[in-house]
Amino acid sequence: MAEVPFLQLRNLSKTFPGIQALKGVSFDVLSGQVHALVGENGAGKSTMIRILAGAESPDPGGEIRLQGRSYAPGSPRDAFAASIATIFQVANLLPDRTVMHNVLLGREPVRRGVIQHHSMRRQTTEVLEKLNARHIAPDALAGSLTVAEKQVVEIAKALVGQSRFLIMDEPTAALNQMDVKALLGIVRRLSAQGVTILYVSHRLDEIFDLADTVTVLRDGEHISTRSLGDVNRDSLIEEMIGRRLSTVFPPRRVQKGDEILRVEGVSSGKCLLDISFRLHRGEILAVSGLSGSGKTELGRAVFGDLPIERGKITLRGKTLGRHPADAVRNRMSCLPEDRKVDSLLSEQSVRRNISLAALSAIASWPGVIMPARERQVAREQVEALDIKVVDLEQPVTSLSGGNQQKVTLGRCLAVNPDVFVLMEPTQGIDVGVKSEIYQFIARQAVEGKAVLLISSELPEILGLSHRVLVMRDGRIVAELDTPDTNQEEILRHALGEAGSTSIAG
Amino acid sequence: MGTTRTTEAQSAVGIGMRRRVLGLLGEQGFIVIFVLWGVFLAVATDSFATANNAFTILRQAAIMGILAAGEHLIVLLGTMDVSLASIVSLTGVAMAAAMVDFGLDPVLAALSVLALGAVIGQVNGLVITRLRINPIIATLGMMSILEGLAFVYTQGKTIFGPALDRIEFLSRGRVLGFLPVSVLILFGVFAVGYLVLRYTTFGAHLLAVGNNERAAWLAGIRVSTVRLRAYTIAGLLAAAGGIMQVARQGTATGGMGADFLFPVLTAVVLGGASLSGGKGKILNTLVAAVFLTTITNGMILLGVSIYAQRIVSGAILIIALSLDRLRTLRA
Repeated sequence: MAEVPFLQLRNLSKTFPGIQALKGVSFDVLSGQVHALVGENGAGKSTMIRILAGAESPDPGGEIRLQGRSYAPGSPRDAFAASIATIFQVANLLPDRTVMHNVLLGREPVRRGVIQHHSMRRQTTEVLEKLNARHIAPDALAGSLTVAEKQVVEIAKALVGQSRFLIMDEPTAALNQMDVKALLGIVRRLSAQGVTILYVSHRLDEIFDLADTVTVLRDGEHISTRSLGDVNRDSLIEEMIGRRLSTVFPPRRVQKGDEILRVEGVSSGKCLLDISFRLHRGEILAVSGLSGSGKTELGRAVFGDLPIERGKITLRGKTLGRHPADAVRNRMSCLPEDRKVDSLLSEQSVRRNISLAALSAIASWPGVIMPARERQVAREQVEALDIKVVDLEQPVTSLSGGNQQKVTLGRCLAVNPDVFVLMEPTQGIDVGVKSEIYQFIARQAVEGKAVLLISSELPEILGLSHRVLVMRDGRIVAELDTPDTNQEEILRHALGEAGSTSIAG
Repeated sequence: MGTTRTTEAQSAVGIGMRRRVLGLLGEQGFIVIFVLWGVFLAVATDSFATANNAFTILRQAAIMGILAAGEHLIVLLGTMDVSLASIVSLTGVAMAAAMVDFGLDPVLAALSVLALGAVIGQVNGLVITRLRINPIIATLGMMSILEGLAFVYTQGKTIFGPALDRIEFLSRGRVLGFLPVSVLILFGVFAVGYLVLRYTTFGAHLLAVGNNERAAWLAGIRVSTVRLRAYTIAGLLAAAGGIMQVARQGTATGGMGADFLFPVLTAVVLGGASLSGGKGKILNTLVAAVFLTTITNGMILLGVSIYAQRIVSGAILIIALSLDRLRTLRA
């Protein structure tokens, strides 16, 4: 062990307003290894990558050493100069430029101010050959390539820059089975050529196939770094999930009523494939899955926000039009995924942010809004949800994240819906407000409303729902009764190959 | 370490102060300049501070102001309609032609021309919402088409005739012996505009679409319908401006509206409507329209040449846009 580790991370922390994404993480990456980094959503993987890629600075007190020398990139340029390249989930190529222009972007061979296209073509061909990707033409437009080919071009780009360290952030997330195989082959080749690789993935199969070492992060903390020979799939999953502070969930009451929403054979592009399920009054139906599994798209399709090519969605026996306005008019409400992008009116008051969806319903002919009526609608929700406001007229942006989330919930409630589509309802809010929102969701079910809960948080799914649909690659791969299941089972279905796992376990 | 902290804290306070001052200038700065300019003119000229001149300014501001009310709605959507001035040209020519060349009754002519303006606005809206063409480019194309149509009809000549005397009251007439008809229409348009934006679902939906289109869509608002209505109203108001311009000039030419493009946009931006949409007070647009007219009026009283006036107009537009930038910096 005299050899200096390629990369040493010591006591790395990163604090964002309101949340600590990394808490004193330390581990080593050995030279020439494929080092896997795993963890659930929010474990701190992305923050770690952004720090290494120079896009984010760690809190003072931590240190990164690259081949024994201190490494503190101030920008992605610095990371580049230190021969560190990052390959993201979705390739960042210029679609209207050729492959060779992309590969040699910023490094074009120049003689007397003139770009040497001949030399560019030769260099690009060489590097693509190294990657066993002779089928990609240097003169093809990057935009015309498949997703997998784009990934390869990204890797070629990194190789031309003589990168000795490659960070790969879920490189296979958007690829199909065949392309995954090819990509894994490339990764192995690179590793054999002495390139050190930090490989981030949800997919345990790939990790067992590829990695020498695996590091687990959970809630921003370093849990373990072990040789792959020392771990099995189940122990890895256990470490990823861990034992958490159990959030207080309200008692679950089962009063399943009549069917209210029916989804039959719905397909949309590659995101949704032949989705069917039924939702009953008094029921909380959860949808689980990794990012990219199609669970977000399912919520959007149900609400009319995503066009569907096949299939039918009926609410109380009536087929819904393909427009959110139709959903709202039929008393279905949606809490969108990203508060800032999908719901807040940043220039408007708390009052208007709550009343927005209900305005048409409360207006008298011909569309006149009585201010007193609007204020009453807003005040009702402020009281029902205990939103901390000084004044209904204060700007919504002056509220805390949790209260902003309650305002968007209030907007949903104000139309008096029978069906809620809640997408990541507790994303980015603190524990206190979280449990209030859980109470709220449970209360809706008790009152005979139906809830479709789309969530990446397994504890919240297990704590709240009656049934769980697990999605993978656009399909529902499992339907489980919540009281009879657990995190491991859901995660196995979400990750795939449940059968082989049970044998291993 | 301790001293660094203190200076940081001090500079933070300094930045806060500076932001507040810039913010105030951004929101209300032009009103301050407006008052200063008025005081200066009152002292420098004999004729500025008279009741008569006040009405003159308001009458001159009327047509531009009515167009600015329509443009205000479009700016609230986060874009611009550059075809409004050309709608003035085409509807003005249509109005004059209907009365002079075809001998149509003024009321019938006016109603048809208003409908024409609304239809043009609706076409703008349909091109933008259905074909999803960038709104500025779409209205730019429309501008060229409408100007072309106006010139094709007039063949570069001026339309005039005694028939037009019948609508002269729209410009020179007075209600109750003192209030010019055009000023009454101006105030009426802004009063309705204010009430619509504040107390109707259309107004609320328009502000929501301009502020966050995706949020509006997910709240069940029919975004395309809101857009379409805004363009239709802007077209209708521009047609009203076209009729009033014919009444004022007593003639119509193919390029009669062209000079409105610039001051109309300037007025809306100067009035503090944010170019990114969703934010703006329509009454401030009215004040800004009057202010711009006062600048022109004052320059005429001071004897500034019509060419030099263009320099000042350009400078004001750029200053207004800089104020818009200050506002966004502050946010």
